[in-house]
Amino acid sequence: MAFDREISEKRKRQCSKLVEISKGIVRQTFSKFKPEELGITWTGGKDSTLTLWIIWQVCLEKGAPIPKTMIIGEGDEFEEIEQFVERMKREWSVPLEVCRNEDVLKTTDHQLNALVRVKDLNERNREELKRIGFEEDEFPFEAESYVGNHLMKTVVFNQFLERNGIRGIFQGLRWDEHPARFNDDYFEYKEGGYLMPEHTRIRPILHFTERDLWDTYAAFKIPYCPLYERGYRSLGAKTTSLISVEGVPAWKQDLENTEERAGRRQDKEKAMERMRKLGYM
Amino acid sequence: MAEIVGPGCERGIPGNVEMPLAVERLPNGNTLIADAGDEAGFGSEILEVNPVGSIVWNYNEGLRFAHSGRRMKNGNTLITDTTNNRLIEVSPDKRIAMSSDEWGGGTGKLSDGSHLHYPNEAFGLGDGTFLVTDRNNDRCIQVDRNGKVIWAFEKELHHPHNANALTNGNIMIADSDGNRILEINQKKEIIWSYGDGSAETLWWPRSGIRLENGNTLITDSKRHRIIEISPEGRIVWKFHTEHVDKFYITHATKEGTFLIACTDGHHQVIEVDRTGSIIWLFRNYRRPAPIYARLTNGFFKEVGEDGIPKHWVLATRLSEGGGRLIWDVDNKPYPCPGLEYDRPGALFLQQNIFVKVGQTYRVGAEIKTIEVKGAACLHIDFYDAFGGSLYRDITEMPSGEYFTGTNDWTHDLFEINVPAKATFAQLRLAINHSGKVFVRKIMMNPI
Repeated sequence: MAFDREISEKRKRQCSKLVEISKGIVRQTFSKFKPEELGITWTGGKDSTLTLWIIWQVCLEKGAPIPKTMIIGEGDEFEEIEQFVERMKREWSVPLEVCRNEDVLKTTDHQLNALVRVKDLNERNREELKRIGFEEDEFPFEAESYVGNHLMKTVVFNQFLERNGIRGIFQGLRWDEHPARFNDDYFEYKEGGYLMPEHTRIRPILHFTERDLWDTYAAFKIPYCPLYERGYRSLGAKTTSLISVEGVPAWKQDLENTEERAGRRQDKEKAMERMRKLGYM
Repeated sequence: MAEIVGPGCERGIPGNVEMPLAVERLPNGNTLIADAGDEAGFGSEILEVNPVGSIVWNYNEGLRFAHSGRRMKNGNTLITDTTNNRLIEVSPDKRIAMSSDEWGGGTGKLSDGSHLHYPNEAFGLGDGTFLVTDRNNDRCIQVDRNGKVIWAFEKELHHPHNANALTNGNIMIADSDGNRILEINQKKEIIWSYGDGSAETLWWPRSGIRLENGNTLITDSKRHRIIEISPEGRIVWKFHTEHVDKFYITHATKEGTFLIACTDGHHQVIEVDRTGSIIWLFRNYRRPAPIYARLTNGFFKEVGEDGIPKHWVLATRLSEGGGRLIWDVDNKPYPCPGLEYDRPGALFLQQNIFVKVGQTYRVGAEIKTIEVKGAACLHIDFYDAFGGSLYRDITEMPSGEYFTGTNDWTHDLFEINVPAKATFAQLRLAINHSGKVFVRKIMMNPI
């Protein structure tokens, strides 16, 4: 995979500066936690791959191994992501753990939209459903539903922390990807609670915009999943991820003026205009 | 079992001021306040408060979202009863001396065949006629006591909220959705204006008044400020509070201070002097809806005696008199609620939920829409300790998808980070314009 464009020297320097800020966060993390207490979340997507690459750079500098890395298997993956992850795992020697909610997958026989009966699940999953206030006897197995999201992602994440005694976990979130991220900090301490282990979330690439991110990939020739060349801008589950602009690589799209997460949100501006007329709100 | 962290009070308690929209200082030193009432449509009233804050007079018979109460020369009070689409004149002993419902032989029609539509303001003029801001008809009119239209300005206005007569005989109009303040002469010519139509200069101004010094004081609601503009269009004085206050109407007192109605921001009326100090304040607010420790009855298994899902509030205040709660009775395993709406305002099904600052929550639901012309969505408003929203505008609130048209059941999932100063969240299913929206399995949990 080679980028089909050149990045100017000036832009390279700007990207280096952004990477240095991120490396600073990673170095601070290594000084606060023991290596075995650290973990990384990876999806094979652009954000977590950049985060992993930056951590790898710091590890090379320190002669340390990459912390234990988790990837969530939701049961609805792109083959292209799986192949990319497999390749990078080998090239960067990533100690990868594929984490799945095996209990749910077994119950559904790995079939999307299969009906899951709550009483067929193990005790932990039943407790988790109780904790989030799910009150019904069954639900369809869909990763993007609230229940699916919780069981297939949040629970699996918490179990990864528990199992490995992880106290600090790296995440590839960025401020500009979603309004809910605007207030995020580089380090966020999470109190423990019922079924939730105490831990700190570390987000080294918060300050990267989508544009910065792609320029950094080009400037440092960082490998990425080829789906982005086909027009995807954001990768999630296979059946719910949409191509933003067919055949146009992510970095050639209008990143500044369109939504990173494609879908019905394209109508949002129009709908907002109507909502805006509601004076008192 | 619903765990309540903030109890609510009974709805419609006289004297509980939920949303002051208009205010004026009376010659006797008392203050007249128009209270639009609570989110469910209860408690609208006109109050007269003395300088030490005692309520000395009130009127609350059948008012719905009343926007203004103005004391007339004859001692009566002219009330703009907005959602009821009428004007009434009430005597000190609370008899109705005039009602626009009687016009047109009891049809409520004016001499031009129209009907008042969501009137927002009315003043008695010296000659016994009324100056009325007829918002949803996009006009400002002068009518006599029998509904005869004497003068009308119907051009160029977009949901005007307040028109008042100046001493020079001209009329000052707040063209709210046009983001302008206009001075019109009797020949209906615009002889002065402020605002270029963009929200950058004025954002939803609710009133403009001419001061004795010749400047114009503008209540710039969604920019949450009061500004004084010189005749040349320069800003010469400004006032705002530290929190988001959607000021509604500003009244200049004889003493040179300003009385400001602060809507449901902090639910109060304040009097400020030229230094920006608050020198008098009236607040008598208790929140009717409880705050639950966590989302309660998100699966709508429990239905209250009123037919509304238990622990949820049907917020009709902005519904302009329309809309209703509906049920999809075929939904399995049990019926799920929805909202049906048919006009330009909005209708909400909502609940108050305790939240912790800095915590991230995941909110999810399944939503179905039928022929929604405007927009339907699940959104969250955050409130500070005084019950004021932290957002200037509905579109700034965190939300899930905005649904339009017809959509079969769709998972809606979004994350929110609780901003500083938030004490509780109000989770709402919203619809505006027209159509139907159904919701089931709403969940909200810290992650």
